[in-house]
Amino acid sequence: MDDMEDDTTIFSTLKSFKSLISCPDRSLLETEPAFGRSGLQNLYTKRVELEEAAERVRSHTNLLQLTQEKQQMELSHKRARIELEKEANSSSRDLQREIDRNRELLLQIRRLEEREEKANQALNEQMENNKALKRNFEELHKKANEKDSKLAEADQMISELKDETRRLNQQIQIQESKFSTQNLEIQALQEQLDVQRKYEFTHTQMYTIFLIPSNKCICTLERRLALQEQDSVIVKNMKSEVARLPELEREIKRLREENTFLRETKENNSLLREETEGLRRKLERMERAMEEKLKVEKPEDLSREVIQIQQRELNLKQQNYTLNSSIRSVEKARTELMPEIAQLRAKAQEEQKKRENQDSLVRRLQKRVLLLTKERDGMRAILESYDSELATSEYSPQLMLRVKEAEDMLQKVQTHNTEMEKLHCIVFVFLRQKIEELESERQQLEEQNNILEMRLERHNLQGGYDPVTTKVIHLQMNPTSIAKQQRTEEVEQLRVECQRLRDRLRKIEAGGGMTTDDTTLIIPPSQEILDLRKQMESAELKNQRLKEVFQKKIQEFRTACYVLTGYQIDITVENQYRLTSVYAEHMEDSLLFKSTGPVGSMQLLETDFSRTLTGLVDLHLFHQKSIPVFLSAVTIELFSRQTVT
Amino acid sequence: MSKTLKGITLKGSAELVAEFFSFGINSILYQRGIYPAETFTRVTQYDMSLQLTTDAKLKNYLTNVISQLKEWLFDCTVQKLVVVITCLETNEVLERWQFDLECDKTAKEGSAPREKSIKAIQEEIRSVIRQITATVTFLPLLETACAFDLLIYTDKDLEVPEQWEESGPQLIDQSEEVRLRSFTTTIHKVNSMVAYKRTNST
Repeated sequence: MDDMEDDTTIFSTLKSFKSLISCPDRSLLETEPAFGRSGLQNLYTKRVELEEAAERVRSHTNLLQLTQEKQQMELSHKRARIELEKEANSSSRDLQREIDRNRELLLQIRRLEEREEKANQALNEQMENNKALKRNFEELHKKANEKDSKLAEADQMISELKDETRRLNQQIQIQESKFSTQNLEIQALQEQLDVQRKYEFTHTQMYTIFLIPSNKCICTLERRLALQEQDSVIVKNMKSEVARLPELEREIKRLREENTFLRETKENNSLLREETEGLRRKLERMERAMEEKLKVEKPEDLSREVIQIQQRELNLKQQNYTLNSSIRSVEKARTELMPEIAQLRAKAQEEQKKRENQDSLVRRLQKRVLLLTKERDGMRAILESYDSELATSEYSPQLMLRVKEAEDMLQKVQTHNTEMEKLHCIVFVFLRQKIEELESERQQLEEQNNILEMRLERHNLQGGYDPVTTKVIHLQMNPTSIAKQQRTEEVEQLRVECQRLRDRLRKIEAGGGMTTDDTTLIIPPSQEILDLRKQMESAELKNQRLKEVFQKKIQEFRTACYVLTGYQIDITVENQYRLTSVYAEHMEDSLLFKSTGPVGSMQLLETDFSRTLTGLVDLHLFHQKSIPVFLSAVTIELFSRQTVT
Repeated sequence: MSKTLKGITLKGSAELVAEFFSFGINSILYQRGIYPAETFTRVTQYDMSLQLTTDAKLKNYLTNVISQLKEWLFDCTVQKLVVVITCLETNEVLERWQFDLECDKTAKEGSAPREKSIKAIQEEIRSVIRQITATVTFLPLLETACAFDLLIYTDKDLEVPEQWEESGPQLIDQSEEVRLRSFTTTIHKVNSMVAYKRTNST
């Protein structure tokens, strides 16, 4: 379309040019005869001018043609470029696809290789398993053969053993028959035994019957013996008492003699006392009499003294009488005691006689007991002899023995019991003490146990374990070890890079900007960077192309405007437009318009050129208020100025 | 799934526990930020939404460990599973998530299935995982780059398979321990606890 438009412009300009050429020719021709030579010169100049214009137009057209060709060329260029880029993109995409396919194929190849290796390994393992199984089979076969041979041997043994068992069974049967015959014999003998036992039993019963009364006699005799012993004891006591009697009699005699003596002395004493008293009184009286010689010896006094003496005599007599009565009573008592003594003596004698009798009885009884015991021993001996005569079954002495043994055992057991009870008590006390000790120990141990359990629980919570019973395992390829490995590898890589960079720096500083190949760090550009670079380049290309296109379009538009309207519109400052006319006489002649407001209204600004056009400004802008009319008026004015002059 | 609808067998219990560990370990890795959050995807399990990793290497590692663990759960030879979180810069152990396993050895292959509903077990597992998520609020921040490791405590006489090796217990120096909830399938009982390095500022 651009080409067509370009062609139309070219053609239109050619037509206009031709029209121009034709018109001025007519105008020139028409004006020729009026001017003459000046007209010829004018014609000549006009022709020259026209030729120049024609040349200009031709050059213009050439220019236009060239520009058109150029545009066409550029368009074709663009198309070629676009196509090339598309091809390049597609080829790059194909490349990438093929690279990816390559990679995938390589991966597949690797996988297949790994599978092959695994299959080979499996094959090898299977072969080994096969061989092992074959070996096992052979071993098992051998074992089976051995077992068969062993079985055959065992069968032989079994047959031999069966023969032996048969022989043994026969022997057993023979012995059983013997045993049965012997049992029969035994039974016969036992019956004989029973008969004999019965005979013995009756014998022993007889003997026991004999023995029982003798035993009874023995018992009664023993009782009598006991009584007699008691009596003998009593008799002894009585003897001792009786032996004291003569001594008692002697003592009585002595006591009586003493008694008489004492009485005599007493009497004498009393007589003497009386005499003394009488004498004293006499003395006193005499003394009194002597003293009281002066005193009138009264017959009263004498009578009194005589009365007193008589009273004394009476008293003395009374005393005498009483003493005599007491003597008589004592003599009576003595006479009474005398028969009692005689009686006691008689009793003592009787008792002596009794004792003597009893002693004799005792001696007799002892003799009898001896005799009886001798008889009993004799009987026992006879019985034992009878038992020994029978002599097959000694069961009664055996029973006695057993009884004795049982009694011995009983005694032993009883002593043992008592000992054990004593031990028990001691042991009881000891055990109580032990129990208390153990209880205290137990409590301590429980506390320790609790503490240890708490420690164990803590240990368990923290993750400890008993190495004897448990072990801790994990996978060799676990995330922590892998992460640690990666870390160490990264660290190594970073160290190596660091070292390289340091070397490079040193060389750069030393060499002053020389970067040789061995120190350059070939950082392999990653895929992203390459893509981004490509994107950047494509974006820059797009930008450039857009700029070029915009420039061209603007240029075209401006030239079109210039050509069509006859004004070159430049934007000098924001919102200010400078218009320069095609027919401007001087380069500086321009009109300035300012845009006021968003709608698009313009205002004319004062310029030198606009001052020369004040008439037009007044007419078209102030009165008619139309900028396009003003502008066209200005072009007409300028055009007319140019063409006229 | 070999869990019968009527009860729990030894195999079913081993699978339940292995499944719990798989989701539990993923949750721990997501919550503690060991791997970036954008490498995890949301899934629904135990009636709650959990995070599961999409990183192929990590998935591979986890499936290896969990499948081996399932075998050992079946044999009742495993005692503990520990998730150890180590700081890569200082090589110090910062956190230990420890799961103690108690196995009822009387439940053998052919014995009768135990009476416990799967829903009840899942309810317990859900509470354990919720508690793990909640404990993150009081654990100290992991500011440095960290990596994790899975340790398994087994019986001493267990044959160590290929690709596995013995290691130390990787204990924390000066740790604080917190016991979490436990759940049981009547054959396996799992006790959870977390130990973390005491920070000097607290």
